[in-house]
Amino acid sequence: MADLVVGISDLKCSGQQSDVIITYALGSCIAVVVYDPMARVGGMLHFMLPDSTLDKNKAAAAPGMFADTGVPLLFKSCYQLGAEKKRLIVKIAGGASILNDADYFRIGQKNITAMRKIFWKNNVLIKAEDTGKNCNRTVKLQLADGKCFVRSSGGAVEEL
Amino acid sequence: MLDRILLSINKLPAFPATVQRVTELLKNEDYSVNEIVAVIKFDQAVTANVLKISNSAYFGVRQKIKTIHDAVVYLGQQHLIRAIQTASISKFFTNKGYGDKVSELWEHSVAVALMSQILSRHMYQKENSVLYTAALLHDVGKLVMGEYVQDASKKIFELVNNHAYSFLEAEEEIVGINHADLGGRIAEYWNFPAEIRDAIALHHRPNIIDLEGNPLISLIYLSDQFCLTMGIDGGMDGLAHRGFSEVTKKFQLREADIEKCMLLLLEQLKQANELLGIVDK
Repeated sequence: MADLVVGISDLKCSGQQSDVIITYALGSCIAVVVYDPMARVGGMLHFMLPDSTLDKNKAAAAPGMFADTGVPLLFKSCYQLGAEKKRLIVKIAGGASILNDADYFRIGQKNITAMRKIFWKNNVLIKAEDTGKNCNRTVKLQLADGKCFVRSSGGAVEEL
Repeated sequence: MLDRILLSINKLPAFPATVQRVTELLKNEDYSVNEIVAVIKFDQAVTANVLKISNSAYFGVRQKIKTIHDAVVYLGQQHLIRAIQTASISKFFTNKGYGDKVSELWEHSVAVALMSQILSRHMYQKENSVLYTAALLHDVGKLVMGEYVQDASKKIFELVNNHAYSFLEAEEEIVGINHADLGGRIAEYWNFPAEIRDAIALHHRPNIIDLEGNPLISLIYLSDQFCLTMGIDGGMDGLAHRGFSEVTKKFQLREADIEKCMLLLLEQLKQANELLGIVDK
């Protein structure tokens, strides 16, 4: 069994049944997890910020950094491995915030909103979501069965 | 429990004198390279780590640094002090703190130190070695508190999750002291100047004293919050800390500035692999 580790601003896809894709320590960042149960192909994106207009050069070099460039690339990469859009199950986790951050540091909230908007615009439903709050999260996807697990700081491992 | 924690401060090894001696020597404009080399070489543990990190892309030296002599000649004052600080401080990171691995708290500490320099350049157009030291040490209290907090984590999370406590407030309630305060006391035990001590002790409560007084406090508070937000948090407290918007307002930081600083940090962390690697995984 191989663990494919997804770093900040990174994404990984696989069609290997024995693979597990994992990302550690999502703060305000968000993990987008997709899985096609027919093709048994899945992938994970760990994006940091909502909007690539902040820095076009960086977005070109590392599309996984932003929601608007990372999500399309995640889908395309899975298509290349045989996944189909209509079969892809989407789950998301992350987007935490600092306590009482009403008027600044809204990156967690902004990330959640940006991502929902992208999926809504593209007619993609989000099957499950564990977002917000103020914990950090570790997310795991098993390619063999598409099961997705989230571990929050101070909490147990739960299936998403 | 509190008595036991405070007593364990006195069991900590003394802070290596190498840093202070080198800083003193460097104050003299025409310092002698050999004199500095002699001081560093005397401390073998620090020597090995200084050599490891001197070649880090973060310091941007083109020549390959093979000896302490090379390091003193090529790194330049600021970076030399910083390399020695990093090497000396890393020696204390031998337990897990609040995390699952020893390396987690160290990575967080290095990230906050790098971010403190990004912010310092953004706001004052220059770097600041005192700030760097304070940032690297800001969570030193967690090294002593770690064991107690891991044991009491159920009670702490009960307060955080169900009673709207911040992690800091829960520490005070359950353990009797918070990690920032404890860190301040450790800094005092190590005879650090008051501005470093206060920056460590108040890094989650920049609102307590006048922000104009000691800019280190707000800068470390912000650097820490940036890293927590990015998920580089080094332990179970996660993002359960309070935000104080007056600090961002004081520095006139807009959201785009904050996001750009995060991108910069990500880039620098990649260049700073050698700094991260000197602590055991």
